Amino acid sequence: MQSIDLKTILESTVSTGYGNLVTRHTGRAVRNGIEAMLTQLDGQQVAVMDFSEVGCLDISCADEIVGKLLLGHGHARYFLLRGLTEAHCDAINLVLERHGLAVVTEDRDGQLELLGPLRETARRAFGFVAETGRTAAEEVAARLDLSTDATRQVLEELLARRLVRQEDDEYRVIKT
Amino acid sequence: MTRVVEVPTHFDDRSFDQFARALGEPNGERLLFDAHAVQWASPYGLVGLLVAGQATVERGDQRPQLTIPTDRDVVHYWGRTGFFELAGEWFEIHGRPPRVAVSRSSDVLLEITQVQGADDVHGVVSIIQERAAAILSGELGLEAKATMGFGMALSEACQNIVEHAGTSGWVAVQTYHWRRRLGRRVVVIAVADAGMGFRRSLEATQTSRYGDRWGDAAALEAALIHGVSRFRDPGRGQGLGGIRRYLNRWDGKISLRSGTARIAMVPAWDDDIPLADGLPQFPGSQMLQIIPAHQAEATTCKAST
Repeated sequence: MQSIDLKTILESTVSTGYGNLVTRHTGRAVRNGIEAMLTQLDGQQVAVMDFSEVGCLDISCADEIVGKLLLGHGHARYFLLRGLTEAHCDAINLVLERHGLAVVTEDRDGQLELLGPLRETARRAFGFVAETGRTAAEEVAARLDLSTDATRQVLEELLARRLVRQEDDEYRVIKT
Repeated sequence: MTRVVEVPTHFDDRSFDQFARALGEPNGERLLFDAHAVQWASPYGLVGLLVAGQATVERGDQRPQLTIPTDRDVVHYWGRTGFFELAGEWFEIHGRPPRVAVSRSSDVLLEITQVQGADDVHGVVSIIQERAAAILSGELGLEAKATMGFGMALSEACQNIVEHAGTSGWVAVQTYHWRRRLGRRVVVIAVADAGMGFRRSLEATQTSRYGDRWGDAAALEAALIHGVSRFRDPGRGQGLGGIRRYLNRWDGKISLRSGTARIAMVPAWDDDIPLADGLPQFPGSQMLQIIPAHQAEATTCKAST
């Protein structure tokens, strides 16, 4: 996993005097900084965006950073957001809803969750994968009380959106 | 020839249309803004007054005159908000502004500040992050989450100027006690600019969609309710929606005025109307955000301004 400290990127791309991710102008500069770092990662490595040191995150900046990164790279890369406050989540959620996107987040206890608009079944399937770390479609189906085919469809959706990985015949969380 | 524009004695969002009517349409006369009788002006009134002066100067008319309030407390308050430091550029001031330091007091969370570019927005948000958290959570009893979202609401409001106005604008943040109107303390964000306004900003992309309905009211509705932006980027136009959602969660109010219309998201504690059209013309755009103290605070807080 490659951790990308957004405060460091903010300082190196915009100004050392800033502690908040606000304005589109700032968001664009930070996204460019992140994209430069992404070129050093292969497609299987998870890009962890660390918001721990970020104060305020406004919607414009969230759109430029999270929204546009997921739109531009989300089909080919795994992203995980870490160190989010509830206010950060509010701003990011609004952006994800606007674009119909979803992303994996990790809370301070290491718990993985999904942000963004998703069907309840997909959210529950993700929750089970996150709980177990790795699991087969049949086990998820049993937990969700769905047919294996229907469950596979849900898991394939998570897979296509790069919210889980697949290894052999198992679905895994993206962090491991 | 000089024409007198009377500043309302109680100058806030409720008397703003009276001020706009007095300002009227420009006709080449020199303007004299008469504030001598003012007994109270809210941050919204003060940034609106600056806009009136700025718009007059920017359209090439003679710099207007301004008579300052005669009430000592009022004029000192105007001084603490930083009004006189900024007004000198747009008005020929009559009367002697008091020598008072621009406030770092607990009621003026952000003195009137000019906003022109992204750097200004960073500056404004940084100041608020430093000064406001303790006051918002302590005096107003707002949850920590509400204080964190406050920076977002402030930033998006200021960016509206940077991205859409085409000129600079003003922002001020203050807390005060609304005894008669609400019986609670509130925190208020007032933002105003003398720019192109919502109708002109959205005209190129929205006129055909709205047809005969197109005007200031339709433009405000498009921006605030439907998240429409003049930019083709689908990510644009979310800022006002974010503010709306934030204020809705904390029982707050947003009101947007532009040209001859005003739109508001009206909470239960207020009696404003959701959409007003055919108002007296006023330059640019003005935004008011009000967040009331948590209900429990009203019974314990004795502070008053």
